[in-house]
Amino acid sequence: MIGLTWLVPVLPLIAYVVLLATGKRMSEMAITAISVLAVLIGLIISIGVVAAVGQHGPYAPVVYNWLAFGQTTLTMGYQVTNLNAMMLLVVTLVSTLVFLFSKSYMHGDERFSRFYQYLNLFVFSMLGLVITSNLLELYIFWELVGVCSYLLVGFWYFKPEAAVAAKKAFIVTRIGDVGLFIGIILLYLGTGSFDFTVVFSHLHHFASAQASLGALGHDAITRLMNVQTWVTLTALLVFVGAVGKSAQFPLHVWLPDAMEGPTPVSALIHAATMVAAGVYLVARMFPLFEASSTASETVAIIGGVTAIFAASIGLTQRDIKRVIAYSTVSQLGYMMLAMGVGAYVSGMFHLMTHAFFKALLFLAAGSVIHALDTQDLFEMGGLRKYMPITHATFLAGALALSGIPPFAGFWSKDDILTATFDSGHYVLYAFGLIAAFFTAVYIFRVYFLTFSGTYKGSKHPHEGGWVMTLPLLVLGLLATFAGFINTPFAPILSRFLQPNGPVGIDPPANWGLMAVSAVVGLLGIGLAYSLYGGGKRADAWAKRMGFLYALSYNKWYIDELYALIIVLPVVTLAEGLQFFDRWIVDGLVRLIGEVGYTGGVSLKYSADGQIQTYGLVTAFGLAALALVALRIGGVL
Amino acid sequence: MALQPFLALGAVLFGIGLYGALTKRNLIIVLISIEMMLNAANINLVAFAHFLPKPNIEGQVYALFNIAIAAAEVAVGLAILLSFFRARNTSDVRDMNAMKW
Amino acid sequence: MLFGLPITGATITYFVLALIIIVSGVFMLTLTNVMHMAVSLVGVFLGVAGIFILLGADFVGLVQVMVYAGAITILMVFALMLTHRGLNGHLQGEVGPFRGTLTFLSVAIIVGTLLYAIRSTPWPGSTTALQPFHQSTVNLIANAIFHQYTVAFELVSAVLTVALVGAAVIARKEE
Repeated sequence: MIGLTWLVPVLPLIAYVVLLATGKRMSEMAITAISVLAVLIGLIISIGVVAAVGQHGPYAPVVYNWLAFGQTTLTMGYQVTNLNAMMLLVVTLVSTLVFLFSKSYMHGDERFSRFYQYLNLFVFSMLGLVITSNLLELYIFWELVGVCSYLLVGFWYFKPEAAVAAKKAFIVTRIGDVGLFIGIILLYLGTGSFDFTVVFSHLHHFASAQASLGALGHDAITRLMNVQTWVTLTALLVFVGAVGKSAQFPLHVWLPDAMEGPTPVSALIHAATMVAAGVYLVARMFPLFEASSTASETVAIIGGVTAIFAASIGLTQRDIKRVIAYSTVSQLGYMMLAMGVGAYVSGMFHLMTHAFFKALLFLAAGSVIHALDTQDLFEMGGLRKYMPITHATFLAGALALSGIPPFAGFWSKDDILTATFDSGHYVLYAFGLIAAFFTAVYIFRVYFLTFSGTYKGSKHPHEGGWVMTLPLLVLGLLATFAGFINTPFAPILSRFLQPNGPVGIDPPANWGLMAVSAVVGLLGIGLAYSLYGGGKRADAWAKRMGFLYALSYNKWYIDELYALIIVLPVVTLAEGLQFFDRWIVDGLVRLIGEVGYTGGVSLKYSADGQIQTYGLVTAFGLAALALVALRIGGVL
Repeated sequence: MALQPFLALGAVLFGIGLYGALTKRNLIIVLISIEMMLNAANINLVAFAHFLPKPNIEGQVYALFNIAIAAAEVAVGLAILLSFFRARNTSDVRDMNAMKW
Repeated sequence: MLFGLPITGATITYFVLALIIIVSGVFMLTLTNVMHMAVSLVGVFLGVAGIFILLGADFVGLVQVMVYAGAITILMVFALMLTHRGLNGHLQGEVGPFRGTLTFLSVAIIVGTLLYAIRSTPWPGSTTALQPFHQSTVNLIANAIFHQYTVAFELVSAVLTVALVGAAVIARKEE
């Protein structure tokens, strides 16, 4: 199975090419079959890979030379490690279910094939990003997933909001990508290689002071900074990339807007996989972050702040997808927090469980939207009767998200909180706990507004057929039970991801902290029930909160702030430059053109078609030249 | 006799031909003027053939070729004149201005 | 001495011929009657033929008489008559005075420069013999044309043929 790993990303690429070639000629059934088959085979291979890695440990990278210049050879290749084996499994599993779900959700769309093309291209890029063996290749795939995200967010480009959101998503993540790129270049300058293995071995040597920077004669870097500065700077820059992709504060603004895309896209890209790429990147580059405490602290603080900040916004949003989107931002903050406090396994564990229950929540929301054609929470209600499967699975996802034992989210979130507490970050622990409380409140607010009370709409809602309910059920089961692979009693995932870690001395379960987490979650649900249970609207309560409500509802005015301090100056400058360009530069160019044109227009009348005139002018010119020649020759 | 008088004669004949070609309004006279210019060139060729340090027959051969080509030119020129005259009923060069702006 | 040249038979012949050529040329440009123009044209061509013979190029002179003074002049006169039936044998005039003066000045400067150049150039020493070729020029020319310049000669024949056919096609009345 290991030998087939390369097929996992290549299969969706093949599916992409096939769909691209056949276009609209294929039936929706055939398109879905091809796409699902491609990722399903990938899923089966991934399971084999995970099993092989579990027994054997990480494999050596398989690389091919790509470009040789000077002393450097750029390579392309892939590498199977415990970390990316797990990611392969998560990505292919969620992709398979989302592909299936999309068949029904996108049914009848004119660009059905195009949608699956983009999805396949995305899955290819994401899987490539996961198994790549060097940073340059990672960056290429990193941008590819960004492009796919852009294409899919703007899939319904004829909606102006979607077009704007796509641009916003692309530009904001690009800001982070620039940081990542500079970080990669710095890493290359310091270590002389893009390969993860080489970079990490250099980092190891730096730590033990056995080597100096500028391994391959790039001594420009050694003159600029010492090793510690270099490590910190590089780690921070790489983290900037992760902040952009994982929608962390302050680059989180694109993700909620990205909900303009089709809901399966939100589930796959903007919940389960692509936005997790930032967390994955930090995990993949973990030795770098371990080497710099400043960088780790930054990661932890950004993660903790994002977790509570996004959760507080989620409390008041009216669009069902936006609530879940802010929830995603908040949960990604948890993962970053885990990475920052050194709880690598907890972060990845949460990434995995989150992929399941968040994809589930999105798909369930998609099912609701599909049935109702609205995304406004206040227009829903009472759907428990009409959509029992959606209701049950959404409930499982909501419980998992809220961290109620024994659902998956409880184990992973509690893992993170415990690790934060144990590492001595008490403020961040408090942030995490409050965010957990908010999380329970907002997700059950959505739950009560959607499923309890009485139905307010006129359309008759119904379930969307087996292709919609099957993925929901599978994800529901995963959201319920996936947590058991890494309980304090049986840390399977921990052993898998850190096979060389301390054996047999698993940290004792911290019953106190676990109880606190569970109670906070239950309290949140209770509050949500008292406010929204049975279809209440809680307007009075919102009014009483006044300023705080407005702050949360308007997303802390972050977009407005950016519009004021970044967009406005840039646009003003651009308009000034445009004025300069249009009137000064273009004016000069046009002036020159006009002179030439006017000269040509007036001089053309000298071409009167009279051969004798031409002859006379020639003779006159010759005579003038003769005079000049005589003058120069001193005759005249 | 020396070379220079013949070259001078050629130059003067060339000048007369050039003036005629540039000032006359009748196409036939223009053609005749051009023939005179060609004749001036021929005088030069033959004079050089005679007066070079080592007299050389090639100048005369070139003059013969020149005469042949001039004859061809006159034939074509007059044919064009006839065709033009038939179409426009004039042989004034000022009317041959289809190529103007 | 005549203009710095020793007075010999050749010199006198040269001056007579040069006078004929230049006067005929000027007449050619100033006269307006068709027949007068034709006569001056013949004068120019015959004068040039005389110059050729004076330079020992008797064959070229003969060809000049036949082709120019004979064929081309007759052709021109025919063309003049064909195109000026209604002009009573007179041709329309010249350009305006400004243009005429400008042309005259330009031509004068060019010719003057040429004459100056001819005068001031140290020409290589040259033979003074009236007949520098020790063989008949016809023999020499025939040798040159049919040995050295065969290809050029054939090309000229082709050009003449093409010109003939082309002239016929162009001048033909369209149906």
